Amino acid sequence: MSIATFASRLYLAAVFFFVFLPIGASVVFSFNSDRFPTLPLASFTFEWYAKAFSDDKIWDAFRNSVAVSLTAAAMSTFIGFSTAYTDFRYGFRFKAAYLALALLPPTIPLVIMGLAMLAWLSQIGLSGTLFGIIAAHTVLGSPFAMAVCRLRLHQMDPSLEAAAWNLGASEWATMRHVVLPFSAPALISAFCLTAAVSFDEFAVAWFVSGLNRTVPVAILEILQGNVDPQINAIGTVVFITSMTLVVIAQTIFMRRNRNG
Amino acid sequence: MDNPLVSFTGVSKRFGQVWAVKSLDLSITRGEFVALMGPSGCGKTTTLRMLAGLEEPTEGTISIGGRVMNGVAAHERDTPMVWQSLALFPFLNVRENVEFGLKMRGVAKEERTSRAKEWLDRLGMSDFGDRGIEQLSGGQKQRVALARSLVTEPEMLLLDEPLSALDAHLVIRMQGVLSSLQRELGITFVYVTHSQSEAFSMADRVVIMGDGEIAQIGPPREIYRRPATRFVAEFVGRNNIFEGEARGNSLHSPLGTLPLPVTAFGPAVMAVAADRVSANRDRPGEGPSVKGRFLSEEFSGTSILCYFEGSDGSTIKAQVDEEALDLLAPSHGEVFWISWSTDAAHLVGS
Amino acid sequence: MATSSRYAFTWRLPMLIWQAAFFVVPLVFMAAISFWLVKNYRMEPDFILKNWSKMLGRGFFWDAYWITLWRASLAALVISLIAFPASYSLAYKVSESVRRWAVFFLIVPFFTSYLVRAYAWQVILAENGVVNAVLGQVGLGPFTMLNTGFGAMIGYLTLTLPLVIVLQTFSLSGVDRNQIEAAWNLGCSPLRTIVQVIVPSARVGLIIGAVFCFILTFGDFVSPFYLGGSKPPTLSILIIDTTKSGQQWPRAAVVALIMIATLFCTAFAAVSAAYRKRTR
Repeated sequence: MSIATFASRLYLAAVFFFVFLPIGASVVFSFNSDRFPTLPLASFTFEWYAKAFSDDKIWDAFRNSVAVSLTAAAMSTFIGFSTAYTDFRYGFRFKAAYLALALLPPTIPLVIMGLAMLAWLSQIGLSGTLFGIIAAHTVLGSPFAMAVCRLRLHQMDPSLEAAAWNLGASEWATMRHVVLPFSAPALISAFCLTAAVSFDEFAVAWFVSGLNRTVPVAILEILQGNVDPQINAIGTVVFITSMTLVVIAQTIFMRRNRNG
Repeated sequence: MDNPLVSFTGVSKRFGQVWAVKSLDLSITRGEFVALMGPSGCGKTTTLRMLAGLEEPTEGTISIGGRVMNGVAAHERDTPMVWQSLALFPFLNVRENVEFGLKMRGVAKEERTSRAKEWLDRLGMSDFGDRGIEQLSGGQKQRVALARSLVTEPEMLLLDEPLSALDAHLVIRMQGVLSSLQRELGITFVYVTHSQSEAFSMADRVVIMGDGEIAQIGPPREIYRRPATRFVAEFVGRNNIFEGEARGNSLHSPLGTLPLPVTAFGPAVMAVAADRVSANRDRPGEGPSVKGRFLSEEFSGTSILCYFEGSDGSTIKAQVDEEALDLLAPSHGEVFWISWSTDAAHLVGS
Repeated sequence: MATSSRYAFTWRLPMLIWQAAFFVVPLVFMAAISFWLVKNYRMEPDFILKNWSKMLGRGFFWDAYWITLWRASLAALVISLIAFPASYSLAYKVSESVRRWAVFFLIVPFFTSYLVRAYAWQVILAENGVVNAVLGQVGLGPFTMLNTGFGAMIGYLTLTLPLVIVLQTFSLSGVDRNQIEAAWNLGCSPLRTIVQVIVPSARVGLIIGAVFCFILTFGDFVSPFYLGGSKPPTLSILIIDTTKSGQQWPRAAVVALIMIATLFCTAFAAVSAAYRKRTR
């Protein structure tokens, strides 16, 4: 191995170390008895988990997060798929503007989305409801869902739909028996990915949640106080949840892509 | 026949500013094998898609079995099609693909299964019912696509360049399969292709299209021997084209004065098939002759096409057999007499 | 097939309806309230310019504006530079499958609890945290890393580095290998090849990576707040403070609108520069 190759491998390793250090550290600290963790580590403990999960507020937050992320993921996936299908199937005037609108949300800072949603939801009387969070997370998730579904539809033979009509299937039957089965892996990927987006989102949720905290909002509010290793315990659970979702999303998507 | 299965009357189709098909009139009788042939962009595929209801004519009417089909959606027609890409459903297995049309028409499960099996047997695919589409070879996929289209026992089958993705040796095999299937079933095949050999070897009638219009309709041999227009003569290939001024019995062309098979006046184009001309080294053969400088030869299995350059720079083709070529042994740049008999010549529209 | 419009609109409308109700209208409404009046902690529809003049006339707003702009620009530049050697290795020095796995593992953290990762850094970088413990072993420090610009930059790296590497890797992989080999063949040194062949060819992707980095860091409040010490506050911290403590939503809206305008101008300028240079 040449020095240059060795150096580039080392650099890559350092980058990956940096990226995964906070995740690994969080997990390690969550089992470490020190209140202010440092090296060398103190003794092994379940104390922080016990503490976090004896707290009713944390349980409420998990319930809220699950409800919000499942609903928002389902809605994002539906909207993202519809938009991707529209882009795949139809050409129409102002299509560029239509697609721009669909893909714009990730470019608006979350704090601003939070403020705008808070102001608007208060105006229409939905501030502080779980629906408000779901509405916002659906906006944030659907561009990701659209991207995933669009990539999958790109692999579909454009004659496939016509072939189904030709064999006596109406457009609706074709959607049900051809387009949806073909897109199934992308729909699962999009669902997992948008569930992860929603499960981790804290800024907009913090603005509009009111008393209905989700997990990241609960973390944020604990963080307002002092250093508290509970967060590592909750954080580890959150990491595992969202990483599992993202890994599932990517695995299904990548496997299907290779098989065509 | 007095009662055509399909008739196109004044059918036109416009996409944006472009007329893909222009006032097309065509009748197809029951049990006929019709090939629509032409260069890409000639409107042949659009014509087929209009028949399947995948495109709506801009003008004119299409009727099938006497019923006007304008406004009838694709899924309400019985015009199954075999696609260029085959368009098999990748997430269904072979049997489910074949059953698809029956399922969409609400046929009960047992009947679907038995009819799918029957067609898979018929096409020699009985052992492949549970296979995935990706596990099949090109020829096997082709058979599945045929079974899927025929399982509803339609009166007519549409085929859109179905063999274009296959290897050459498979094409010949599948041509045999298609021809015998069509004869056994006695149903109408409408076959779109740009390949002359496919069209001429299978079709009862060939429709040559160019630029959205029908250039000629006729049996393969007639198209070959009596091309109606210069476009057809050139498209069909292996034709020599002589252009000039007709003055009664002769054509005054840059290559000289050539006798015409008929009497004509004014600008005219004469076609002579390459397999009806002969090349001689020392003196002209029987009948009209022109001089040509030997350019190259093209070997195509059974025959050889020799290319010559006429004195005006035009290309003249002569089809010879291997033996004759050996005898002739032309060398590059050598001048030959190219001759034909007057009745091999044919005046075409320009 | 003559498509039924009911079918077509079933797929076209959901996005339009949802984005209109919960994306476009909220933003437009936010723009509207920037002209509203706040009286006794309640907003009243009005058309006054006071919120704008109050915010734009204050020194602390401009302090926040410049620190935010400066940090985001610096982050876009520094993170692009840090990402580049990694992207270069991934694009050219490793096998296809290693690249695919690397991208896989870089996408995972992008979708994973930024907040908790920032908190982990807070613990790691603390005065008596892991880093100082390690440095102490070799007789260095302790260093103050939290509540500094350095701390904020570590947070920005956490937020954007994986994304920037993925975007850069894609654009570098798209560069024609023949071009690179031709440059080598003509005796171009590796460094010159990078500067004169690879960077210009991959320019659009590199700029888009930097623009995303800018957008994310410009709007982020977690890193400047928990790792950067929020002194001076950035614009997003200003929005939160103004919204949460004083009920001064109209003034927060002013800040938000200025942020959106800045982001759009920056993104538009960068992307159009990227494309103009390439076609020359």
